[in-house]
Amino acid sequence: METYEAVLEALGDRTRRQIVHRLRAGPASVGELAAALPVSRPAVSQHLTVLRRSGLVSYEELGTRNVYRLDPAGLSELRAWLDCFWEAALDRYAQRVREDSADSGTQPRHE
Amino acid sequence: MPGNLTSVEPVRKSVAVPAAPQRAFELFTAHIKEWWPLGTHSVGIEHAVGLAFGGGVGATIIETLTDGTTSVWGTITQWEPPHRVAFTWHPGTPEAEATRVAVTFTQDGPGSTVVHLVHSGWERRPDGASARESYDSGWEPVITRFAETAARVH
Repeated sequence: METYEAVLEALGDRTRRQIVHRLRAGPASVGELAAALPVSRPAVSQHLTVLRRSGLVSYEELGTRNVYRLDPAGLSELRAWLDCFWEAALDRYAQRVREDSADSGTQPRHE
Repeated sequence: MPGNLTSVEPVRKSVAVPAAPQRAFELFTAHIKEWWPLGTHSVGIEHAVGLAFGGGVGATIIETLTDGTTSVWGTITQWEPPHRVAFTWHPGTPEAEATRVAVTFTQDGPGSTVVHLVHSGWERRPDGASARESYDSGWEPVITRFAETAARVH
């Protein structure tokens, strides 16, 4: 799976978006996240695994606790995807204009 | 670190095309069906059969699917041929969550135009009684809209 797809899939779930929202306020442990959300601790752990794989969230071990925090890498992936989206569309557009200009006898111009 | 995530800058793209602004503008708008990668960049993907770009403020950009249903991608907010067109952008998502696209056509020589595209509005809050209204950070709606747009138009 492409990274951006993992990010999209991760954010497709409301609970995971809530976790991301909570982590925006600062790093938190599984227990702290579970206390703030209407889901069980094991469920939070599962969601965190998905978020971690997508690159949206990273964690570090602090003593006996795992502390989770947001990782900008995930959003960067989405951003890169959107750049590609418009690039692909504009490439097709430029190609169409070139064909049109060739048809009408206009000398195509190199970019 | 969250500071980096709150700022979603506009996407900016440009391309030079071998046509005068008038023709470049026509091809971008009225002839969008002839170049838009509908098979990959649409709501219906393999079921997408048509795409029409209305002419004038208030007109829409609308996709047609094989079953005859339609999907409005956006509404034109500025119509200044052959220099500029701007529209809201919400393929597959509610209009209240629209982002914004502006396209300008600048002549840079005889029969040559540079097309600039700016896709912005990621920071805009959804308005109305949205389910997401309880999120007051402004960031969560942004990334959700980002994800929804990306998930449905790919």
